[in-house]
Amino acid sequence: RCLSGLSKNACQSEQHLGQYYTVPPSHFHTVFPHGLPPRYQQQVKSFNEGCVMVRQPALELISHLKRADYSKPTLRYLLYGVKGSGKTMSLCHAVHYCSKQGWLVLHIPDAHLWVKNCKELLPSSYHASRFDQPIQASNWLRNFRTTNEHFLSKIKLRQRYVWTKRESTEEGRPLGELVDMGVSRVKSSSDVVGAVLKELRLQAGGTEGGFRLAVAVDGVNGLWGRTTLKKEDKSPVAPEELTLVHNLRKMINNDWCGGAVIATLSQTGSLYAPSSAYLPQELLGEEGFDSMDPFIPVPVSLYSEKEFESCYLYYLDRHWLQHPHSQTEEGKKELIFLSNRNPSVLERLCAFL
Amino acid sequence: MAASVTGLLKPWTPRVLLVRWSRYNPYYLEPEPRKEVYHIPETELTPEQKEERELKSVRPIKAATNSVTSSVFNDPVLSKFVNMMMKDGDKIIAKGIITQTLENMKRKQVEKYHKAPEGKKAEIECNPYTIFHHALENCKPVIGLASIQKGGKFYQVPIPLTDNRRRFLAMKWMITECRDNKHRRTLMYEKLSQELLAAFSKEGNVVKRKHELHKMAESNRAYAHYRWW
Repeated sequence: RCLSGLSKNACQSEQHLGQYYTVPPSHFHTVFPHGLPPRYQQQVKSFNEGCVMVRQPALELISHLKRADYSKPTLRYLLYGVKGSGKTMSLCHAVHYCSKQGWLVLHIPDAHLWVKNCKELLPSSYHASRFDQPIQASNWLRNFRTTNEHFLSKIKLRQRYVWTKRESTEEGRPLGELVDMGVSRVKSSSDVVGAVLKELRLQAGGTEGGFRLAVAVDGVNGLWGRTTLKKEDKSPVAPEELTLVHNLRKMINNDWCGGAVIATLSQTGSLYAPSSAYLPQELLGEEGFDSMDPFIPVPVSLYSEKEFESCYLYYLDRHWLQHPHSQTEEGKKELIFLSNRNPSVLERLCAFL
Repeated sequence: MAASVTGLLKPWTPRVLLVRWSRYNPYYLEPEPRKEVYHIPETELTPEQKEERELKSVRPIKAATNSVTSSVFNDPVLSKFVNMMMKDGDKIIAKGIITQTLENMKRKQVEKYHKAPEGKKAEIECNPYTIFHHALENCKPVIGLASIQKGGKFYQVPIPLTDNRRRFLAMKWMITECRDNKHRRTLMYEKLSQELLAAFSKEGNVVKRKHELHKMAESNRAYAHYRWW
């Protein structure tokens, strides 16, 4: 019931629906330094292994990614669903597939982290009216470096970037140098992020040594809402005035080719959105929906009966369901009733049972 | 006294009907929350159970409290512990702390289990409920002390304790130990899980306190005859 990880990844098909596949532990630190939900990370630590269930939305995404034409403008996929139905996990599954196929993965763990709770907002040096977020940008660059080590030396810059009067990066230098500079010089890290995104966008579809670019954004509705950040005169900051958000929006526009954009809506981190909202129209708002407009929606539903069975058996196998009554039929019926087959609710219930 | 009063009282309803509180007319019967009792078919009932059923159809029944469920996961000892941990009537926070404690204990044990070599796996206890019950058992004192006045002075006299009193003392010691004697910045569920795991293996401050009580009782053996009940 637990398939082995690597070789079967590419040929997962409908037969494997509901079964778990193991991600080898070496991949966790390279592919997912920052992408996984925190409870799942705790689960990986407790069970000493990471198993992901193969589900319908993830398989659909992977089949689209296999068959898409990469000389046309990028396709945008949007995962949406009720709270706790497994959108982030499906995104991580797709990201794992992409990195196994050798794509360059740009994984933003949660766009909401960039529009709230920022301690330092510096006015940007590049553009007068915009604001920089040095801490978030440098963290993200560090994680980006861990994910895509082998690409950093291969990609060469096509333009000269000037950071201050004395610092500049010449044309033809490898991308790794740019990223290292961004991590060390925290003040200009947001501009470095912008430069990295621009370079990748230009070079993704190229025929000479071209690579495929996967942009995976979790909580994409944070890019088009309001922010909780304030300027020094206590007036609210609009998302366009943040360099990171501005550059990310340019990535999500489908005017480049040679890759795919996979996004997830998320109500949990979203600001000023009611807790019962889960449809794209409600969470993205007018502006967001118009900019994402031709996208492929992928609904993520709650566990079906077969998936619930599989999850239940997995927990039994890893000795997670310890209460003697939870292993009986009655206990199982009660779990179904209490969790309504919602994956995250089931996980929280089984945690203390 | 209740028996004689029950004979005098007829089924009466007061003018103001109070529901869902703890003071009832002794005429009222206790509720039965367990599902298995109602699934026994008619033929298999013993004569006492049949009588009980007939009585229940005539007499009024007290309202069940919110903490009692017909779920298979209901545990009376755990509910008592939650009530003792509760402050200002906030049961949600207390229940949350207990569930986090159970989860924390389970995680630590399951991690140990998966990393242990094959021979040691059977010895590691992963079920947080059995750990909780065994730890509580290890903390229950066997004998207690009472302050009895004789000839103007108060003596600490060793006395036997009822089961309820022992359980109460074990839970009280556990909670006060976690609240007072630990580092300020650790969260309550972390402190509780450490203490419970220690008590399960008979180490830790709570079992030490139990042993000290036993030693005091042993040293005051001479005054045991001051007890008159």
